[in-house]
Amino acid sequence: MTGVLVLLERHAGAIAAASCEAVGVARSIANGGPVVGLLVGPGGAAGATGLGVDRVLLAESPNLDHPSGAQLAVLLAAAADAASSTTIVVPGTARGRDLVGRVAVRWNASAATNVTEVATSGSGALRVTRPVFGGRATEELELPGPRQVLALKPHAFSPPATSPAPTPVEPLALPEGLAKAPALDVRGFQPTVGGKGPELGDASIVVSGGRGVGTPEKFQVVEDLAEAFGAAVGASRAVTDAGWRPASYQVGQTGKAVSPQLYIAVGISGAIQHIVGMVSSRVIVAINSDPQAPIFRVADYGIAGDLFAIVPALTQAVRAARSH
Amino acid sequence: MEIAVLVKPVPDAETRLRPDAKGLALDPEGVKWVLAGYDESAVEQALLLKEAAPGTTVRAISYGPVARAEEVLRSALALGCDAATSLEAPPEAPTDAVSVARALALALTKHPASLVLCGKQAGDDEGGIVGPAVAELLGLPDLGVATNVRWDGGPGGLTMERSVEGGLEQGRTALPALVALQQAWNDPRTAKLPNILKSRKAPIERIPAAEVAAAMAPSAATAPRRLGFRLPPPRTGAKMIEYKTPEEAAEKLVRILREEAKVFP
Ligand SMILES: Cc1cc2nc3c(=O)[nH]c(=O)nc-3n(C[C@H](O)[C@H](O)[C@H](O)COP(=O)(O)OP(=O)(O)OC[C@H]3O[C@@H](n4cnc5c(N)ncnc54)[C@H](O)[C@@H]3O)c2cc1C
Ligand SMILES: Nc1ncnc2c1ncn2[C@@H]1O[C@H](COP(=O)(O)O)[C@@H](O)[C@H]1O
Repeated sequence: MTGVLVLLERHAGAIAAASCEAVGVARSIANGGPVVGLLVGPGGAAGATGLGVDRVLLAESPNLDHPSGAQLAVLLAAAADAASSTTIVVPGTARGRDLVGRVAVRWNASAATNVTEVATSGSGALRVTRPVFGGRATEELELPGPRQVLALKPHAFSPPATSPAPTPVEPLALPEGLAKAPALDVRGFQPTVGGKGPELGDASIVVSGGRGVGTPEKFQVVEDLAEAFGAAVGASRAVTDAGWRPASYQVGQTGKAVSPQLYIAVGISGAIQHIVGMVSSRVIVAINSDPQAPIFRVADYGIAGDLFAIVPALTQAVRAARSH
Repeated sequence: MEIAVLVKPVPDAETRLRPDAKGLALDPEGVKWVLAGYDESAVEQALLLKEAAPGTTVRAISYGPVARAEEVLRSALALGCDAATSLEAPPEAPTDAVSVARALALALTKHPASLVLCGKQAGDDEGGIVGPAVAELLGLPDLGVATNVRWDGGPGGLTMERSVEGGLEQGRTALPALVALQQAWNDPRTAKLPNILKSRKAPIERIPAAEVAAAMAPSAATAPRRLGFRLPPPRTGAKMIEYKTPEEAAEKLVRILREEAKVFP
């Protein structure tokens, strides 16, 4: 029987979806062993109930408002030891992923990030699958026991059903190493520009626009569709280079790599540098007036046609579908 | 200030991926090895800091089979790095991130740096493990994935922005520290021909395989074992939606997304 520890990351008071996905994975590899959550920082145990963990360890201290990677690694190793966990699963968020290398060193564990499949194999080892080369290939690894640390690829796993049962919460004795771990001096926070919808790297649906949209003003049709879907907005480099939208929108080799459940490319030709940033999305839809556009070779579904006719109609249809 | 940049040789983006004979890794046959994309951003960041703070020197460090590592080190020198260290991979070269981090930490112990820059993740394994592991091994604060780094001249004066869920966090740290660089926000420069030619003859320090192997040894037991390297089934091309009016196309697509692809509630 092996216990699994999960880092419960909170964004704006709520447990991040990526952490819920991690709880589901922890349960599937715990083989009946306990699944324990670690909560860090101010905010008490808010959000811990109903997640499906057996109990929560709470690490609280005034200087953990903005814990550094080094501090979190110390806490994770201490919590895993306190809970007799042999595996640590961290959410596939920016902060979560940064911890894996530190925990691997500190806790002497075998490590993998961006994991899309995981299974137990004999003698405490784990078999994991992960995309490499921007999703153009996958590798399968065996992580030897007795200790492993994993970060999951966002959206690769579904979160478990929530349970209303109250979750016991215990304080984690702050380990000695914590004082020595370098802290971070966080001075400010700026929400992503223009981001009404979900964060690009985080969203389960992404709608991206390309040069075919024509002008910065007309890019609004892409944003309307994204809003109808509750999706994040992305763009090709043609759009960000022209200054129609900020660089933070760019998807691709030199922008963000995204892998949502659904990616909709509007007026994007499908250059290889764009493709590598979105090809590992689960379902890809392309809307382009040129039936020969290379984007249709990687898309699952295509509509050949003028985006200014198709996209508003689609926005309507999505709004109608969502209101039922 | 002494800056170290960690640069990894990765297959050129145009490489046609093929599994090797055992189906365990990329077939290296015919692969052109280049500086990883995010590492270009790290080199650019190092050079920007150097230009802003005269007297700064930048050392590029790479681990790998000698020919590959030295190829990317020469690219870093051609861009303007001052010195280069190659960590010679032992036979059966370990490639797991923590072993590689141990090798890099060996070079950083020989050449202590106030600032270590690396890429957010390498374009091949996309692990993002090596940088934070180096920081942990050396007891450095790591600022995570940063998009902008400024140094105000003093030992306590590194300011950066880092991208986290929902926005940008601004923070400061004392030096020494490690920062991982993200995307090409800083628009990396390209090398000028005379500098490329000069870099061909520039000296590269080499740390021999035996010494590297000894530094890596503590991670042998935790190194992941490769079981397979696969290409996804080729995408067969989009199923094109037939329609007479835009409304019909839209309705058909919504129905497919709901009922067939199940990506829309
Ligand atoms: C080193 C390097 C890195 C790069 N990194 C990136 C990156 O990270 N991300 C990225 O995206 N690109 C990147 N690029 C650029 C890339 O090569 C392409 O130039 C870019 O992706 C093209 O953007 P696009 O598809 O929007 O524009 P285009 O290629 O111009 O395509 C526009 C498309 O819109 C269609 N269209 C036009 N009008 C309409 C209409 N009314 N209705 C429907 N469709 C219409 C056209 O048929 C066409 O297919 C990079 C290039 C280099 C050299
Ligand atoms: N073999 C290597 N030599 C030098 N630097 C490396 C090496 N491997 C990884 N790095 C650095 O660590 C970063 C993250 O790599 P990875 O963990 O492989 O995604 C890279 O962008 C490099 O800066």
